[in-house]
Amino acid sequence: MNSAILIPLIPFLGFALNGLVGHRLSRALSNFIACSAIASSFALSLVWFIRVLENPQHRFDLMIGQWIAVDYLQIPFAFVIDALSSIMLLVITGIGLLIHIYSIGYMHHEKATARFFAYLNLFVFFMTLLVMSSSLPLLFVGWEGVGLCSYLLIGYYFETEEAPRAGLKAFLYNRVGDVGVLLGMMILFLVFKTLTISDLLQQVSQRGVENYFGWLTFATLMLFLGCTGKSAQIPLYLWLPDAMAGPTPVSALIHAATMVTSGIYLVCRLAPLFVLAPHTLHLIAWIGVLTALFAATMALFQKDIKKVLAYSTVSQLGFMFLGLGVTGFSAGFFHVFTHAWFKALLFLGAGSVIVALHHEQDIFKMGGLRKKLPITFYTMLIGALCLMGFPGTSGFASKDEILYLTYLHSPMLWSLGVLAAVCTAFYTTRFMVLVFAGQPRDLNIFDHAHESPWWMTIPLILLSLGALVAVMFGWPEAFGGHNRIASWLQSAIHYAQSIQPEVHELHIGLAWKLAIITTVASLLSAGLAWKLYAEGLEWEQKFEKKCLHTYRILREKYYVDQAVQTLIINPFFRLGQVFWKLGDVILIDGIGVNLPGAVTHVMGDLGSHLQTGRLRNYTLLSLLGLLGLLVLLWSGRT
Amino acid sequence: MTEPLSFFQALWMGGLQGYLWVGFLLFIIGLMTVVLRRSFLLQFMGIELMLNAINIILLAFGKWHGGIPTASTFYLFIIGVAACEAAVGLALIVELYRLKSTTDADQHSGLRH
Amino acid sequence: MFLAFALLTLGSALAMAFQKNVIVAGLFLVATFIGVAGLFVLLSNPVSAALQIIVYAGAILVLLLFVIMMLNAHEEEPPQEDLYIQRYLGLGVGVLMIGGSFWFIKESKLLQSLSERPVNQVAPVSLNHIGTEMLSHHLVPFEMIGLLLLVSMIGAISLVKKRL
Repeated sequence: MNSAILIPLIPFLGFALNGLVGHRLSRALSNFIACSAIASSFALSLVWFIRVLENPQHRFDLMIGQWIAVDYLQIPFAFVIDALSSIMLLVITGIGLLIHIYSIGYMHHEKATARFFAYLNLFVFFMTLLVMSSSLPLLFVGWEGVGLCSYLLIGYYFETEEAPRAGLKAFLYNRVGDVGVLLGMMILFLVFKTLTISDLLQQVSQRGVENYFGWLTFATLMLFLGCTGKSAQIPLYLWLPDAMAGPTPVSALIHAATMVTSGIYLVCRLAPLFVLAPHTLHLIAWIGVLTALFAATMALFQKDIKKVLAYSTVSQLGFMFLGLGVTGFSAGFFHVFTHAWFKALLFLGAGSVIVALHHEQDIFKMGGLRKKLPITFYTMLIGALCLMGFPGTSGFASKDEILYLTYLHSPMLWSLGVLAAVCTAFYTTRFMVLVFAGQPRDLNIFDHAHESPWWMTIPLILLSLGALVAVMFGWPEAFGGHNRIASWLQSAIHYAQSIQPEVHELHIGLAWKLAIITTVASLLSAGLAWKLYAEGLEWEQKFEKKCLHTYRILREKYYVDQAVQTLIINPFFRLGQVFWKLGDVILIDGIGVNLPGAVTHVMGDLGSHLQTGRLRNYTLLSLLGLLGLLVLLWSGRT
Repeated sequence: MTEPLSFFQALWMGGLQGYLWVGFLLFIIGLMTVVLRRSFLLQFMGIELMLNAINIILLAFGKWHGGIPTASTFYLFIIGVAACEAAVGLALIVELYRLKSTTDADQHSGLRH
Repeated sequence: MFLAFALLTLGSALAMAFQKNVIVAGLFLVATFIGVAGLFVLLSNPVSAALQIIVYAGAILVLLLFVIMMLNAHEEEPPQEDLYIQRYLGLGVGVLMIGGSFWFIKESKLLQSLSERPVNQVAPVSLNHIGTEMLSHHLVPFEMIGLLLLVSMIGAISLVKKRL
């Protein structure tokens, strides 16, 4: 029963070992410590997953101790393992393990690998803490912890200029969201007088749907603000593309597979609460679809292979939120699951390409790498097919489920979603073609390319297998499958709930129609991209000349970064300067600190004239004091 | 058995008030010597005067309390302390004179801001 | 008799206080001590008077005059700066204290009642009395005074002696 506590604890021990004495250990030993920590954690997760699988309705509550106990604020230090968290655990530790193994190869030429592995282990610790915690404050600890690890790992190359800045950016954007989570938690505590998730949801089931703008709506909105920060949604998505300054395994693990999905996890965890706030859900759906669409268009003309994947991640996260927003919690979560596999795969493949080309990330300089990097190519092809939703792949299953539910909710949202899917197909084909097909554009780079060592290729192969197998868990029922993941998550998400989310009737005909429309549109777009880019870059250069403005806008990501810089950051900077000059220098330093100091100094100067050093002056003064005292006593006597 | 003296008679003829008055005046003269003169030696003498003044007052009270020997005993103790004070004080004066070759107390004013 | 001794005491004290030459001031101090001793006799306390002469006029004064001679600083040096505040404030305080003490002696009811006690029959305090009193009731202070004298002797020697 208590072996669950080891799931976060072992990575923490790995972190402590590598973080404290890692720089003295040999490289192989520190690699071994990190990987074995995650491996044992993965094995335990697997055991727990099987245990949950036997009885998906059951929730394991693991009370470890009391954490905070003040009056009615009772927060236990407890874990909960149910279908939701066990799947997340499996994803985190499973993909985490593969990425750790991959990192051994990827980080082979770096110096401070012990530090890197320590951070990775710490990340797994916090992430497992996040998904296992049974109360919101404990979840928040994990939430902040993964943010910290994200910051540390983005800034891993701290000698460079942009990496620390990107880390700081990620941290600050997350901070905005975290304020939201804190506010949401406080409101929930005010309303329900508890922060334990099970108690909270128990009480939620006694409340009606809140169709007006009330406390619940506000609380869920605030929580969702936190999710937009952590999961890179509009308006707080800007940090994720910059976060690609970190090492590629970090991008794969933290910024594609696990951490960024914690927002979706939070919403799923509190799904009954969100169901009661339809306004919030509506907003989530819209934010999700807009993010999906905009990020997909931004990915269209990126030059950096990791930037393409970063925007793709943002876009896919948007799809997940779209699913959540239309109350398809299990569909959204299924997309988390499948996306974790194929996006990690794509990132690791990109990392493999980058290493093969000696840290060249510009896809315009690649081309024709299929022959040089066969394993990378075929594994990435699987990932790309999943990403664009090729029929039969896991990406198709989860995305189609989301889009189907969206159509039932609102055809408008659905059409935007399809547009985003079309863009996805286009940019996926574009970068695959530019990297692997055609003729090499930079022979110097091409000639030195080599396939990655097996440390890196084996995780790629395993991940591609995972991406293929993931489809088994949730093939939509409309196509004759059995949506296992939905039935597992049923109890975890709906939580003995009296109010069920709207039950969707299964229109098989409609589902087929929608799937065909999406697929055909995606395939057409992919084919177009194939045709346009098969000969190289000519079409894109022509397009750039013809539609300079459109191209520029897309390339520069709608100038959002610049707008934020001028509209938010610079005014705040000026305001900060004003506060610094007025508040700090004049008010606090001047009036608050220096003025009393000056007054004391002047008074001390005046008083020091009494201190002449002459004995008789002192005698006279003490005599005066004595006389004064006598007079005082005398007058007080009568 | 004589009549009690009046106040001014006591001052002139040696009543309790007369001794007290002499003691007070002697004390004040000693104090003024300390406060107004600058020489260490004179200040030291002033201190001796003040000690004597309180001795007078002590013994005067002793007599008017019935000639008890406690007053004389404490007078003895005071003399002992005064002797100590004289020894140490004069040693300090000698040492200070060696330091600055002056007996002017005002010039030994190093302990200040 | 009282008036004569009182005048001798106060007069020579005043003369000492205003004397420029330190040696002459020391001699006036001797006169003051003798006057005080006379007052002690009038207070029917001949033992104290004898002690006064022996210890003060004898020991302490001799020590003081020794030091004065040794230091060879007979005249007070001219002042470095005129501390008129000190002077006038000191004089003011002195006058105030004289007035205050006079008023105190005159007005105090306690003193008045105390002074009306008969003192003519009071027997002179004898050495016998003092010895008995000191060694029976004040033995510990007596020992401590002895110790204090020893310590101050050592202290004085260690202060003055340059190299022990």
